[in-house]
Amino acid sequence: MKRRITQLHPFTVLCLAVFTVAVATAASVWWLSCAVIVMCLAIGAVAGKARKLAALSGAIMLPTLLSLLMIHGLASRDSSPVIAAWGPISLTRGGAEVAMMLALRTAVLVVVGLLCGLLIDKHQLVAAIDLSPAPPQAGYLLASTLFLLPQMMEKQHAIGEAQALRKAGTGRGLAGWLQRLRLRAVPLVLSSVQDAHDRSVHLAARGFPARGEHSRLRQVADSQIQRGVRWVALLCSVLVPAAILVPFGGAA
Amino acid sequence: MSPNLLLPEASAAQLLRRRVLGAAGTLLLVGTYLFLVITQPTGIVEGLGQGVALATFAAYLIAAVLLLLAVLPDLPVSALTLIPVALALNIILGQFVGSVMVPLYLDSIGTVLVGFLAGRRAGAATGVLSTLIWSLFAPTVLPFAAGAALVGFLAGTAARYGALRRPYLAPIAGLVAGVLVGVVSSPVAAFVYGGTSGVGTGAVVAAFRSMGDSLLSAVTKQALISDPGDKAIVFLIAALLVFALPKRLSGSFEFIRRYKVLGKSGNK
Repeated sequence: MKRRITQLHPFTVLCLAVFTVAVATAASVWWLSCAVIVMCLAIGAVAGKARKLAALSGAIMLPTLLSLLMIHGLASRDSSPVIAAWGPISLTRGGAEVAMMLALRTAVLVVVGLLCGLLIDKHQLVAAIDLSPAPPQAGYLLASTLFLLPQMMEKQHAIGEAQALRKAGTGRGLAGWLQRLRLRAVPLVLSSVQDAHDRSVHLAARGFPARGEHSRLRQVADSQIQRGVRWVALLCSVLVPAAILVPFGGAA
Repeated sequence: MSPNLLLPEASAAQLLRRRVLGAAGTLLLVGTYLFLVITQPTGIVEGLGQGVALATFAAYLIAAVLLLLAVLPDLPVSALTLIPVALALNIILGQFVGSVMVPLYLDSIGTVLVGFLAGRRAGAATGVLSTLIWSLFAPTVLPFAAGAALVGFLAGTAARYGALRRPYLAPIAGLVAGVLVGVVSSPVAAFVYGGTSGVGTGAVVAAFRSMGDSLLSAVTKQALISDPGDKAIVFLIAALLVFALPKRLSGSFEFIRRYKVLGKSGNK
């Protein structure tokens, strides 16, 4: 089961995610949103990523929920009963319900999006973009960023250690923080821009971006069924929300 | 960097296709923004609310992707190799700033840097790509792709018209860019998410709401407080980083040479 999930074509996973988010947002009923979140956690558990998914989702959703409670719960202008009051500030039932509904709507996007990020293999995604009709530059940019990120993180860490070793940027307060930012950012940016410049010379010499058919070492498993699922999912992402939201035949 | 001599030039049909894609993206973005601001749909949770949220999300995201597809094939290789560095810088410097509880985002330094060095098209592409890649780790940023594109576009425009010829002009350009970006991004925060995702910014929106403002008005005022200051600092930092680059390196970008971005002394 785990192998089947992780071996899906990256675009199939993304299309199913678009469909799920579109339908759950259009329906905006609490039980459907909760069902989607539980289903995602279950899929995450099967893929062995449930703990990471829950932690990442919680880190994004907790401040969002607090923010929505402040905006709609505390600053609500409706006349529903007061749940709690702290001096001049009060939390109304109607306001809390609005905040919870909006938080659930956002939670569906967050959990589904993060699950996609955890399930999709980055190498497969790059290969799938390269094999698609998208401009060849798109695959290069995604691949390059995903592989440069850990390298630059390491470089930034090494620069920080080197500056600490020569006892530079040890000041406190805002001035010390600004000095640390400068001492890390300047060498990092200078060396990275130099590297990018060197790379551009080599890439241009090799005739990048390559046009036309070319062979790829990594192939992405795909099937007629998956292609069909993608089209149906995309079509339903438009039709199902339209059927839910547009009042047909005097339903309004 | 001179254009590649071995590859065929883009055909007229390809150029037309890119122009159509760019125009469609811009029209979609402007049309959605004007529709939201003029109609100010109410009831963000029930009825029309879900439709508005979905339509805003989809329109802003599709507009950003169309603009990216229009711009990407035109970018020179020197800009293409710089963009991944900028995306990584956005994430690394954004995380470094976020780790010390300073009330700033500073997560668009890389985007502005590309705008300054490689022009507004490259800057806009960096903004969209930065959001798309960052959404793998934080999906809520996805509909803000158009706002991020605007940051890069405005950075390139500011550099083209001389914002880097005097150090004090860069933060002024950042202030102006912050106002525009705040205004364009606030409908997404208001109609897609019903507010903001940060506790501090949420408190500011709640304060404006309790004073009787509509949600869109409160979110826009909060954005006008946060964004101009943030972008002014980002533009200043990016400008200082460009000034710190060796002239041999900054001068290797055609945009810098063509528009005399760093003034006469910077183009030697």
